[in-house]
Parts: sequence; C-alpha cells; structure tokens
Amino acid sequence: MRTVTTDPIVLSDLLAELALRQLPCGGWAALASSSQPAIEPTCYSALVLGSASVGDIERAQDFLLRTQNPNGSWPVFPGDDQEGGWVTSLAVMALGDLAWAIPARMQGIHWLLNFSGRESNWFWKWKFRTADRHVRFDPDKYGWPWFPDTVSWVVPTAFSILALDQIPCACDGLEHVASRIDCGIQMLFDRACPGGGWNAGNGVVYGTALAPHADDTAIALLALNDRVQHPVVQSGVQYLERVAPTLSAPSSLAWAILALAAHRRPIEPLSNSLAAFPDLSSIEDTSTLALVCLALDQQRALEVFGVAL
Amino acid sequence: MSLTRRDFLVGSAALAAGATVTTPFLLPKYHSDQRRKRSRVAILDSQQYSQHLDQILAAGLRLFPIDVRGKTVVLKPNLVDYIPGNAINTHPVLVLAAAESFRHMGAKSVVVAEGPGHQRDTRLVLSQSRYEQCLRDEKIRFIDLNRDELIRTQLRAGYTGMKYLWLPRTVLEADFIVSMPKIKTHHWSGVTLSMKNMFGVIPGSRYGWPKNILHWKGIQESILDLCATVPIHFVIADGIVAMEGNGPLNGTPRPLGKIVLADDPVAADATCVRLMGFEPGRIAHIHEGSRFMGNAHPALIDEVGETFRPPTTPFQVVQEFQSLRLQ
Repeated sequence: MRTVTTDPIVLSDLLAELALRQLPCGGWAALASSSQPAIEPTCYSALVLGSASVGDIERAQDFLLRTQNPNGSWPVFPGDDQEGGWVTSLAVMALGDLAWAIPARMQGIHWLLNFSGRESNWFWKWKFRTADRHVRFDPDKYGWPWFPDTVSWVVPTAFSILALDQIPCACDGLEHVASRIDCGIQMLFDRACPGGGWNAGNGVVYGTALAPHADDTAIALLALNDRVQHPVVQSGVQYLERVAPTLSAPSSLAWAILALAAHRRPIEPLSNSLAAFPDLSSIEDTSTLALVCLALDQQRALEVFGVAL
Repeated sequence: MSLTRRDFLVGSAALAAGATVTTPFLLPKYHSDQRRKRSRVAILDSQQYSQHLDQILAAGLRLFPIDVRGKTVVLKPNLVDYIPGNAINTHPVLVLAAAESFRHMGAKSVVVAEGPGHQRDTRLVLSQSRYEQCLRDEKIRFIDLNRDELIRTQLRAGYTGMKYLWLPRTVLEADFIVSMPKIKTHHWSGVTLSMKNMFGVIPGSRYGWPKNILHWKGIQESILDLCATVPIHFVIADGIVAMEGNGPLNGTPRPLGKIVLADDPVAADATCVRLMGFEPGRIAHIHEGSRFMGNAHPALIDEVGETFRPPTTPFQVVQEFQSLRLQ
C-alpha cells in the first residue's frame, strides 16, 4: 500500500487544537463547549497524541488510570455509575503498552472477558429463538453490548475484539481470549446487512433489510482486518469503497479511511477530501477531531489499533 | 392443519408484542398529576414543505397563549437516520419555521437539539437530511444530545423500575421544550409521536445506539417515565408527509397534509393517532399518559384551527398492530 502524505500543516494545526482542548484533569470533553471530561474522546486523543509533540499524554494516561472502576471496567465519564461500559475496550487500547498501566489494563481485559451480550444467557437465547424473532440474528453468536444487561451490538463488539487482539499471550487466566474473540467475530458476520456492510447490528427487521452505516462498517472491518477472504468482509469493503467518496461528514470519512487502509485499498483521494473539509479545527465534537487526526496519520493509527499491514 | 408447539409459541409472542402496546397498565406509577384542566390542539392544513410554512406556523402559534419571552427554547425534532426517499425525519423547513416564530416571539435563545437513535455520526444525518446547511444559513445552533454534558436525573414515574437516567444538560436546563415529531407508525411501539420522540434525549454515548436499555425496560414504560421527567411544553408535529407501514425507518411515505400543534403532548398524540385512523385508547402510553400527563379525551381538548376529519383509509401498520386501526 502506498503511504499517503497529508499536508503536515493541516495535521499539526489539528493536533494543536486537540492539545488545547485537554482539560486540567487530563481528559477531554465530548464537545468543545463542554467541561465534563469523558472517556471516549480522551481515548482517541490519547491514541493520537501518543506520538505527537503536543498535549500532555502522561496526564491523559493518568486520568484514565484514575477513572477506572473498582471492577476493572471504565465508566463513560467520571462520576458515572460504576458498572462499566463499552468504553473499557478503548481505555485498554489507549493505555497501550505502558509498563505502569499493565495491572489496570489486565483488570480491564478480564472485565471485558466476563462482559457479554444478554443473548449469551440460555433464557434469552431461548426467547430470541422462539418468541422474539422480528430481528433476524443467531443468539448463539454473541459479542459485547454498549451497556450491561442489553444485547450485543456491532461497534462495542468490534472495539472489544481490537482490544483483546492486542494481548500478547494466552496465559494467566486469558486462555479463553481466542474463543471469545472468535465468538465476537462470528457475531459480526451474523449481523451484517444483506447487501454488505453493517449498521448498529440489525441487518434484517420484520423481513426488511436495513441500510448499513459507513462508520459502523468501518469499525467492524478494522476488527476483521485479518479475515480479508471472508465473503462478508469482502462485501463490506466493497460497500465502504462505494460509499466513502460520498460521505459528507468527517467522522464517518475518517473511520472509512482507516478501515480501507487496513484492507489495503487506495485511500489517497479520500485523505485529500478529508484534509480539505472546511473548518476542521473548529469541529465541535472532540472525538471527531481526534479521529480526523488519526485518519490523516493512518499508519500510526493502525498500529495503535493493533492492525498489522 | 396442525398447530405445532413452535407455531403456538411464535403466535403467542406476536400477540404479546401487540398486547404490550394495547394493554393498559393496572397500577398508576406516577409521582404527580401534571394534567391541565383543558388542552388545546390546532390542526393546520399544509400540503407541502414550502416557504409559506413560516406564515402558516406563525398563524397557528397565535392560536395559543404562549409566552416565550426571555426563555431558552429547545426544538427537539425527530432526526433518526437518512434513507433517500423515506419520510423518516421532521422536515428541516418546518424546524426553521418554528425557530423563526419563537425568535419573533421574543425567545432569549432557540436551539435545535437531538440525539439520533440509529446513526452514530450525527453530523452525517444533519448533512444528508439538509439540516446542516439550513441551520448554518439561519445561524441556529445545534446540540448533539448524544454527546452533551450529562446530569443524573431522578425519574418522576416508576413504570420501568429505573430510579434515574443520565440526561443532557441542554434539555434539563431549557425553559421551553418543543417536541417536533414526524407522524409515523412504529414496528415496536405502534406509533411514534411527540412522547416517543423524547427517546432522542437519551444520550447514546452513555446508553448506546440504538438506545437499547429503553427497549429492555419496556418501550411504553420508558416513554411514560421519560415524559413524566422531561416536560414537553409544546408540540409541533410534522404530518405534511407522514409515514405508514413498517416505520420508523422503512415505512411508506403517506401524504397527510397536516401540522398538529398542541400545548399538551398527550392531547397532541391522541389527535395525531385519530388522524392516522387509530384509536388512542389502544396505545398504552397514551392511555396511561392521560391519567397523569395530559388529556386524550376529545371532550377535554379544545380544537382550534381546521376541523378534525378522520382519514378515509387508516394508516397501514405491521401485523401485530392491526388492532389499533378503527376500520
């Protein structure tokens, strides 16, 4: 794959803006106008700034360590309930391979291994097989929910697969990682939209095929980066290649660039389109700003997501 | 023809799905009776999303004694996802007309706020559905409720069993909330109108996409808890082109040519349901809502504007909800 060279001025300006938005606590808020730190924008920002010369990455990592729940999970924001949620996988990735964060990461990984969609329980499997059949899916193939006591969805499942895929060994209580990842992958295959790609996780409802979303598809394809020959993956890539040039919002386009790069597809025109978006540094949504930075530096981004090219 | 155990179970479940919408709640679980003595509803004729909509809406709003001077007004449209050709979202021209009217009426600020329930990329939905350009041109701020600051909020009814929800600051601090639903059928809840529209204030960043916790806690129950907690001060329902059949995303556009205004969400939804050719008392959240949130009975609703006329053909619905139809 060709390396895409983006105007370094664009990227450096965006990185500077991202660094400016870091709060005194070390985290980032979801919106530029907000002062309530949140884990999702903090994780993307930490992933971006890990190799940048701006921002205080250590303060960001310290913020993540301070906000971890006693059960090993992460809350969506400090002060949230302590049961944990989908951002745990992002926090595990954002802490990277820091030696002093290994115990926290391991706690997070163990929590992820014990966290699954409600359909993994026999009773709900039975219900979805016999009674509640308007959404077409196989409850034997489960992944991760956004939030405890709900069913699996595509994005939290894909993020969890990416996080667990970064574990270097299958020891110390991690013997089941591979089977858990495989179950999640099967769930992603099962929940794909019939025409290719993914939405939140409802491919067919009341017999009607639902439309895929570019960002959900891209995140699923990142998690399936080593299954390139699978027909579901191939049709997902085809969908994304088709729709990416039409995307009129930076977040979806950024995710599409990362996924297509992971699948060794040409991305230069898309990267140029992203860099040419008007007023990128004034994007209100900080997660989007960080994702744009990741997409404009996609080789490093794929490394932090554990995608080997 | 023999009935297998499997057929029986599947059939029972289908009936149960419809029954959860149509079965009234046995015990009231609200904290206070918020009903006004009488409610006011205006049905306005409008056949298309034209530039005259601002005049039609301004004239309709003058039928209500609304005072928004110095208040922060939040317009909450139904903005879920974008599928070309499908009448999914409240039309942006109607939202702009509402913003213009409330500004003229002296509101301190008018913002549009929504947390789409299907599409995570809010800006993409805004762009595809033409909101982004319209809001920019008119200098109207948009707040993404999926990512707004969150405040732990005690619920003011107990139908779901949840004690509290994390809700967006923008909504909680608003002086005047206007629910602006698209009039649609819904394959889980029968209909989606001003009360169901409030699912959009549930933050996706906290509860996910879709907002699955509300489905697990019961859609009808969640609507009641949410609307008891987050007051809807006014309703402007977009029925110019509505949706029937397999809503809220994949139904068929149904030209209705109506805008419904109301100072009471229960009265608004009951009226919309009648315009769809359904019986409001068969929708559990409207039936129960009429016990403490607002008025559903026509005798308690003052009709202004156009005279109500039921449709010659009721809206199409999925099989489970055929019992909602009057004919």
